Amino acid sequence: MSSLIQRRLNVRNLAEVIEGAPRDAAWIEEEHRTSLADRFRAVPATERRRLDAWMVEHAGRPSTPFAWSPATARRILGNNALRRVQGDPEDILRAVRDELADQLLRATRGYARPGSLGHWLASVNHPILGLITAEAVNWATQLLECLPGDDLEWTVAASDVYVDLAGARTTLRGRRDIVVSTDFGRIIVRVRSGQPGKSTGPGLRSDLVVETLADPHGRAPRRYLGVWPDAGLVLGVDGTMENVRAGARDLLRTAVAQRRHALVLAA
Amino acid sequence: MLIPTTVALLADVVRGDRSRRPPRDDASAAGLRALLEDHFFELLGPQLRVTPLIISSANLRGTGSGRDLGDGTLSHARGMIVSTIFRLLVAQVHVEDPFDDAVTAWRGDRPRDPLLDAVLHLDPDQSARLRADVEAHYRVLLSGLGTIPSSWLPRTSLRVRQLLAGGNAELRDVIDLMVGSNRATVANVALVDITTSPLGAGAERAMRYHALVQTLRSGVVPLRTVAFSSATGEFWALDVDHALLVRAVGDVVDVVARATVTP
Repeated sequence: MSSLIQRRLNVRNLAEVIEGAPRDAAWIEEEHRTSLADRFRAVPATERRRLDAWMVEHAGRPSTPFAWSPATARRILGNNALRRVQGDPEDILRAVRDELADQLLRATRGYARPGSLGHWLASVNHPILGLITAEAVNWATQLLECLPGDDLEWTVAASDVYVDLAGARTTLRGRRDIVVSTDFGRIIVRVRSGQPGKSTGPGLRSDLVVETLADPHGRAPRRYLGVWPDAGLVLGVDGTMENVRAGARDLLRTAVAQRRHALVLAA
Repeated sequence: MLIPTTVALLADVVRGDRSRRPPRDDASAAGLRALLEDHFFELLGPQLRVTPLIISSANLRGTGSGRDLGDGTLSHARGMIVSTIFRLLVAQVHVEDPFDDAVTAWRGDRPRDPLLDAVLHLDPDQSARLRADVEAHYRVLLSGLGTIPSSWLPRTSLRVRQLLAGGNAELRDVIDLMVGSNRATVANVALVDITTSPLGAGAERAMRYHALVQTLRSGVVPLRTVAFSSATGEFWALDVDHALLVRAVGDVVDVVARATVTP
């Protein structure tokens, strides 16, 4: 049976759930990847589908189209800013401004494609940029506040992980913010706003399976942790084979549910 | 005990005297949670409600003399606009025109907010009144705020949600400004509430509520809770201790007790 770890979020508890992660994590072979791709291929898709933990948590229901806003931009900007100030957290505001300037510079030079963050930032006026700055500072500071202590080696994840399933017209996305490296493997931390819901476990397990698939050696992280600073909670799943399998099943179920929703909408 | 505000700037009063900070208290939160759980169980019973009873700082404010003045929509809109301006000021953003800049930022953040729509469709008289009102609040904020250094780790409009009583009650809060870190060995976090109303008993209850909810969320008792009125320019500061937090529990229990009384 796969179980969910739950603790109140503070530095001590987070360090405990990181240090207490099981040393042996599951790993997947090529046959597992092939088998998963086969199963996804069996779920017809009229267009390319993209699945992630959010969709698993919402049972494949279609979401509103994505639009940039201070709230949706804060994670990228905040994480990049935190990467800039790693070791010197005194000036998060300056790091956020530097990150904004870089994004705007990219847009000015024509490197930002339409729809990208840089492209959107270049189109907004300065009060909105001010609010974006405030949101990104909030994100980076909150993340810094819930990071593990100095004894642990952590890095801000360069990006989320994406896995393309061959021939299944499916891309899986795994959300991650912090990667903690230990002698026995990695531990992934992802941060979400609001509070965890009833389907948080399946969401974390689906992120776990995507992270495992994205690893070149197929090695699962020792533990996948979800942090909810607004609620002051940390939840996690271990990188066991049971959890990886359960995560894969949840993603498949979501693909089936998504297909049903698409058929209903088309009818 | 309320700290007399002889200093002129909010930034000077927020963090107090560094040499007098008490050690970090991460033991009280569990007891306070248990206390709340016991009271909630008595009031709400063991049955799971369909929707949780939601408690926010507005409930605490509304129970005393600290109610917002004036027309509901206008005062709510004024609060939103002043809060947005405050965020811009803390982020050290140059504010050209407080009303226009805040409305632009608000529109960029939540373009479909019905309250924003109401503001954009005010008749010219009401719009002019709101603009003048916002300008006055902005002047007070500007003269009373001071500069919040980035090294204080300021974060604005922080949302907090705490489920209690097995999901039967939910404490919600938005903290206008939080500075300091919970990682320090001494109490280090200060909370600031910006209100567009004059300070009254309701504001004091809200200050205690912010401290309680932050303690429950982070597990660490904050150093200080401050309220600043952009109507009058006065600010109140309270050092947070166990007695204050127990009082805050009492305030919350009173709200829940009133909400559960059948008419």
